[in-house]
Amino acid sequence: MVIIFLLFLVGINFQNSLVYIVCFWLIALLVINIFYTYRNLSGLTIKAISAEPCFAGEKMVLELEVSRPVKQRKSAIYFGWKNEDLVELNLQKEQSTRIKLSHSSDKRGRFSPPRIDIFTRFPTGLNTAWSYATMDIDGLVYPEPIEKKQGVDNQSSDDEASDGREILGGSSDFAGIREYQAGDSPKRIHWGQYAKTGDLYTKSFVDYESHDVWLDWQSLNISGTEPRLSHLSAMILAFHDSQRQFGLRIPGKEIPPNKGEAHKVRCLTALALYGLPQEKVA
Amino acid sequence: MLGNDYQLSQQVTYRGMIWLLAAQLVVMLPFAFYLPIWLIPVMLASAYWRIRVLKGDSAQPKLVVRLLVIALGIAGVLLSGMTLLSLDTMVSMLLLGFAFKSLEAISQRDALVVVFIGFFLVAISFLFSQSIPAGAYGVFSMIVLTGALIANQQSPAQQMSQYSTRSSLKMASVMLLQCVPLMVLVFIFMPRFSPLWSIPAFESHAKTGITDSMAPGDIANLSKSDELAFRASFKGRLPKADELYWRGLVLNNFDGKNWQQLPEEYDTSELKSQLQNNMAWNDANVDVQGEPFEYEVIYEKTGQPWLFTLTPTTKVDGKTIRFGDYRVMSRGDIQSPLMVNAVSYPDAKRDLELSDYARSLALQLPARGDEKTRELAKSLRKNSTNDSEYVEKILNRFTEQSYFYSLRPPLLGDQNTIDKFLFESKKGFCSHYSGSFVFMMRAAGIPARIVVGYLGGEWNENGDYMAIRQYDAHAWAEVWLEGEGWKRVDPTSRVAPSRVEGGLEAAVEYEGSFLEGNPFSAHNFKWLDGIREKMDSIQYGWRRWILGYDSESQTNLLKSILDKMSSVPLAALIGALFLGIFLLWFVMLGLFRRQTYEAYEHQLYRKFCKRMEKLGVLREPQQTPYEFALIASEKLPAKAVAIRDFSSLYQQMCYVPNGAADRAKPHQKMRKLLRELS
Repeated sequence: MVIIFLLFLVGINFQNSLVYIVCFWLIALLVINIFYTYRNLSGLTIKAISAEPCFAGEKMVLELEVSRPVKQRKSAIYFGWKNEDLVELNLQKEQSTRIKLSHSSDKRGRFSPPRIDIFTRFPTGLNTAWSYATMDIDGLVYPEPIEKKQGVDNQSSDDEASDGREILGGSSDFAGIREYQAGDSPKRIHWGQYAKTGDLYTKSFVDYESHDVWLDWQSLNISGTEPRLSHLSAMILAFHDSQRQFGLRIPGKEIPPNKGEAHKVRCLTALALYGLPQEKVA
Repeated sequence: MLGNDYQLSQQVTYRGMIWLLAAQLVVMLPFAFYLPIWLIPVMLASAYWRIRVLKGDSAQPKLVVRLLVIALGIAGVLLSGMTLLSLDTMVSMLLLGFAFKSLEAISQRDALVVVFIGFFLVAISFLFSQSIPAGAYGVFSMIVLTGALIANQQSPAQQMSQYSTRSSLKMASVMLLQCVPLMVLVFIFMPRFSPLWSIPAFESHAKTGITDSMAPGDIANLSKSDELAFRASFKGRLPKADELYWRGLVLNNFDGKNWQQLPEEYDTSELKSQLQNNMAWNDANVDVQGEPFEYEVIYEKTGQPWLFTLTPTTKVDGKTIRFGDYRVMSRGDIQSPLMVNAVSYPDAKRDLELSDYARSLALQLPARGDEKTRELAKSLRKNSTNDSEYVEKILNRFTEQSYFYSLRPPLLGDQNTIDKFLFESKKGFCSHYSGSFVFMMRAAGIPARIVVGYLGGEWNENGDYMAIRQYDAHAWAEVWLEGEGWKRVDPTSRVAPSRVEGGLEAAVEYEGSFLEGNPFSAHNFKWLDGIREKMDSIQYGWRRWILGYDSESQTNLLKSILDKMSSVPLAALIGALFLGIFLLWFVMLGLFRRQTYEAYEHQLYRKFCKRMEKLGVLREPQQTPYEFALIASEKLPAKAVAIRDFSSLYQQMCYVPNGAADRAKPHQKMRKLLRELS
């Protein structure tokens, strides 16, 4: 550093031992600082915990568990990718901690985050110790959900009413009243009618079996693989949000109608991996 | 370098700023002793301003405001009565910039700059003082600065934790401490160069010690100070008390009241050239006889060029210069402790031939005044057979008539001071006696002059060195006698022999005027003597080994090592030392650590997993050993038993306390199973 050189000149010109000492002390500090910075980085154990699936164009969140050697505390270590995300990590009292890093994804499929830059400037900020970590983990990138207008009508192969088949004896929608039969729940007795007529009537309800909506690749009126996948992805989300039952049919894969989080993930995974080499599917 | 690519949004945090400001204050405080004290309030004001900005109470000052403040500051420095281009001005400017830097320290980079200017200033402060306390304070400043550096690298969360301050300071101290071996090594072996260019001088800070003229009373003032003048250590034979006349200046010219060196007053460089032209040192003038004294002197900072040596100094090293009146001067004013090696032959004869110039100087008398003394001198000389007898007569006169040695003589006025002293007051100290003696010599036509310096010195406990203090200041006389050359005569010793034998304290014991007006001097407390001497030896070591370590000491050290080994092993040794320090750091920092903290069963399990991987079963991080064993045994049915046994053993071992005795057998079993698996 300039200052050290200046000090050396001052030391020479004034023949001042203490100035020399400060100068050499600083040199020694710079040198030991290299060791310290290195130590601050060394001995870290990094485990990839998970890579959360995301939609193309979104950020994939990678969760890492970082633990330190028993006797060394760590301060101000940065994990990240250039122009992506940067996370500062401190391990003082705790042995290990989890950090989340996000990386943008652009293509559907399996995404392996590039090697992570890890660096630190602690304790003095004069040196940087750095390292790279390539995590053996990949996450799914679902096709970006883009709904295509022309596809809406052809979404389902069944031509039934959108409400689907009625299931008698249901409990959600009021369907009418009928005569009381033994065994009917007193809760369902239509007391108003009883007051009017003196006869017992029972309110009857129906449930709707969500119709088996099929999201079918073949019936899509969209050209190109990716736009189709994007559209299907959007539809899956839409159906999932409205808690409707649906099935997915894409070339080479058919997922029977169902609903729920796991079903959504299954369908989206199928979309994400469509047309990709399968060897990694465990 | 990686990391530089990242735009770390690092602004100095609130706590980081507090650290910086505290470090600034610590660094600037010692300068208050030497430079305009208003720099400290300026620093505090800008610190206050900065904190307000950080708290959001006030806006970041605009460029115009900053320029204005800086201009005001510079004007302030110039108006404080400092000359442009003196070192003081430069340092003041640097301090000013340092104080203002905090106003605009926003990024981490700025913080780094502040801290490093701080380090620079710590070093600069040693140009003003190199005492042990200054050194200790410097170390403290360095710790605080390093702490500030560390604190600024900590994340805000960490800074907030309650131990942050302490841990930063602790880490800084540990780091600096670990640096010491390397620093010492570099300090010892780094080649020293001579100054590259002439340096701007300090403005004269209080000059201490003996001045270049003598008016009655000057030396009495010095006698009130117990400040250290210099220390000397002797190789070989040690001088006796009456040989310790440390010659400093020679005073030739008397104007009736004051003595000064030459007929005209000169500043230091003019004086040197005058002496060099008219009275240059000449080896031929010294007739070396007797045994020499070899000694080493470390002079304290005085701001003056006078060096004090035993006469005549036949050999002296360092940046010194000798003159024909046997004085030794430093080439520059002594601004930091100066170490000099010298050899003197006290029995040598000096100037058997006296030059006309020296003779005329040594016979000078004012045209008028002190007529009674002149008459007395002439009559006494007439009654003496030769010059030596006359000298003896004058000296005896001091003894026979009742003259007293006193540090509280009556005032003598401006005229006929010698007459008044010799015939009326008869009370005085060395300058009175030596002055009147020289006057009487000259009045009788004998060349004579006054020598000012120190007499005596106090040996330390172990007798390694002696300390000469300001109260040892003394003036004596020299007369030139045919066939003998210059001869030292100390008229004071006739009046007060104890001054020579027992020092000033003994000489004035009867009147209790020793260190008068300095009641708190440690010398006034006898019971403190032990501590005082201890501290003195520590200081001596500091001066001798740290401050005095220069290219010469380095050469000497290398020479003494090279006597024992040739240069190749020496280079190897130095290299090995450096390597050793690095190794030491490695060990101290715990960088030689490889999974050693892991219990043995974990290490075995790790091996097990590797083996499984080779066999084609990879353990996912989230799998428990139990799950993994199931999967593995499914895939490798042939080894299922061993896999299951090993895993269950491992799981059992994980719950056996570390210290338990029965850990060896299961380990053995695990190893055996592991072998089966391969």
